[in-house]
Amino acid sequence: MTAVSSRDLTEAEDAAFAAVELARHPQRPRALDVIEHLFDDWTELRGDRLYGDDPAMLGGPALLDGRWVMVLAQEKGSDAMSRALRNFGMPHPEGYRKAQRLMRQAERFQLPVLCLVDTPAAHAGVGAEERGQAWAIAETLLVALRLRVPVISTILSEGGSGGALALALADRVLALENAVYTVAPPETCAAILWRDSGQRARAALALRPGVATALALGLVDELIPEPSPGVHAHPTLVMAALRGALVRHLDQLDALGAEPRMSLRRSRYRSAGDPVLN
Amino acid sequence: MVRAATGTADRARPYPLIRPILRPGLGSCEGCGARHLQERFERALQVCPACGHHGRVPAPVRIEQLADPGTVAPIAAMVPERDPLRFDDGMAYPDRLRAAREATGQSEAMLTARASLGGTTVVIASMEFDFLGGSLGSAAGALFAAGCDLAVAERRALVAVCTSGGARMQEGIAALAQLARCTAAVAAVADAGLPYLAVLADPCFGGVTASFAAQADVILAEPGARIGFAGGRVIEQAARDQLPDGFQKAEFLLSHGMIDAVVSRTELRPILTTLLRAYGGRCARVPA
Repeated sequence: MTAVSSRDLTEAEDAAFAAVELARHPQRPRALDVIEHLFDDWTELRGDRLYGDDPAMLGGPALLDGRWVMVLAQEKGSDAMSRALRNFGMPHPEGYRKAQRLMRQAERFQLPVLCLVDTPAAHAGVGAEERGQAWAIAETLLVALRLRVPVISTILSEGGSGGALALALADRVLALENAVYTVAPPETCAAILWRDSGQRARAALALRPGVATALALGLVDELIPEPSPGVHAHPTLVMAALRGALVRHLDQLDALGAEPRMSLRRSRYRSAGDPVLN
Repeated sequence: MVRAATGTADRARPYPLIRPILRPGLGSCEGCGARHLQERFERALQVCPACGHHGRVPAPVRIEQLADPGTVAPIAAMVPERDPLRFDDGMAYPDRLRAAREATGQSEAMLTARASLGGTTVVIASMEFDFLGGSLGSAAGALFAAGCDLAVAERRALVAVCTSGGARMQEGIAALAQLARCTAAVAAVADAGLPYLAVLADPCFGGVTASFAAQADVILAEPGARIGFAGGRVIEQAARDQLPDGFQKAEFLLSHGMIDAVVSRTELRPILTTLLRAYGGRCARVPA
């Protein structure tokens, strides 16, 4: 083991957590901003037809560059009021069941599914457990895997836990450069490993939460570059690049045809996480 | 540590504060503290005769308990060492793996075998909770998927015994990806028309519940097993919610419609046998 002074370590931990905080920057564009920038005729459809409507999960058809797509998105909110309304982007089971409903609808009407991921994690709470949070996520994964239409997912800012993966099982996964994509938020990881969520910086360093890790492991396909200090400085520029990437990948996926696309999606996840980082 | 005074919480404990030193061959129930002969406890499938508490079962023992005697054939599988993040949580991940292997005698948190269950040849995937909390990493995910592939190739039913703390933090995003891998593996079993039966044992949480545990055709759970997405401690801290009685226990999940039945350990074999006969119409007729 290399000798690392405790000061160096602390600095590295602080830098790692600063990267997480950059991804959580309140001025980064939220899903609704992205929808407004990228799509026309966005029509929100609500409700899971089972229990309720989850404001942390949005869905509905929209036009991207002249073609109809189904947009599914986690919305964190952009001020105190909307953050409370959107539960900080942490969906309940109703959100995942709404997503399933709209995925099936996209299939019926032959719309590609475009997911926008922005959640620290699925909501942890009594109601969420009573209504089967794990079951809702597990079923969303199955529905997404089986879609015959193209699925493209974009990690906007924060993708945490199965709550993010439910919208990120896709033919193509894009991510904004400064986004994070992790097995769990650093706070939760620290609570699990050391029973102390205060050690979130230590967890942030160990987890390598930046999307570059997921890119190296083949779980993200393309990073959308962000100008310094981040997308919030020049949102229009980044949105244009994201639109271009989405259109390009949609064209490629359309050309593939349904059967090859589905089998490629499956085989991609059959070796998921195997390549080794060096 | 010597305590001068015992509070009410201590006095309410059903077992003595100072535990007697147990003779070899003696154990005590984690539920009620009753002492028992280890050998008799094992013959009772690790269920306490005094209180019915279902003790934790190591993965290979679980397979032996479910299978017809003498039919278990472990599926040989390579478990390559993976440390995608070069993770160090106070102990380097490869060292932690080595320690878990020494402590459990298992190569990973997932053990798969071909076995006969009530006369039907099945593929059993059994999780080892004592191996890093039964956490799901890329090796365990690969083993589960290989078990699914074997079930499809030989047209066998799949039986999974799930007990896990969730995705393995030490593998980071690569562990999260296992939810997708296992989902794809389960989909292949389902698309082949083969039944997939899951038994959820205490505890079963996080990414395992949010993928293959909840994706089974039939979900059974052992009495009192704690099952959910987020752990009760996390929920209490995060949401400051008052936890209802019996929260996340198997019986609670049954009443909320999330599982098919709460089944005591002694009843698992007969119920699985019946289900395999009912749903095994598209399975291969020939035994292994």
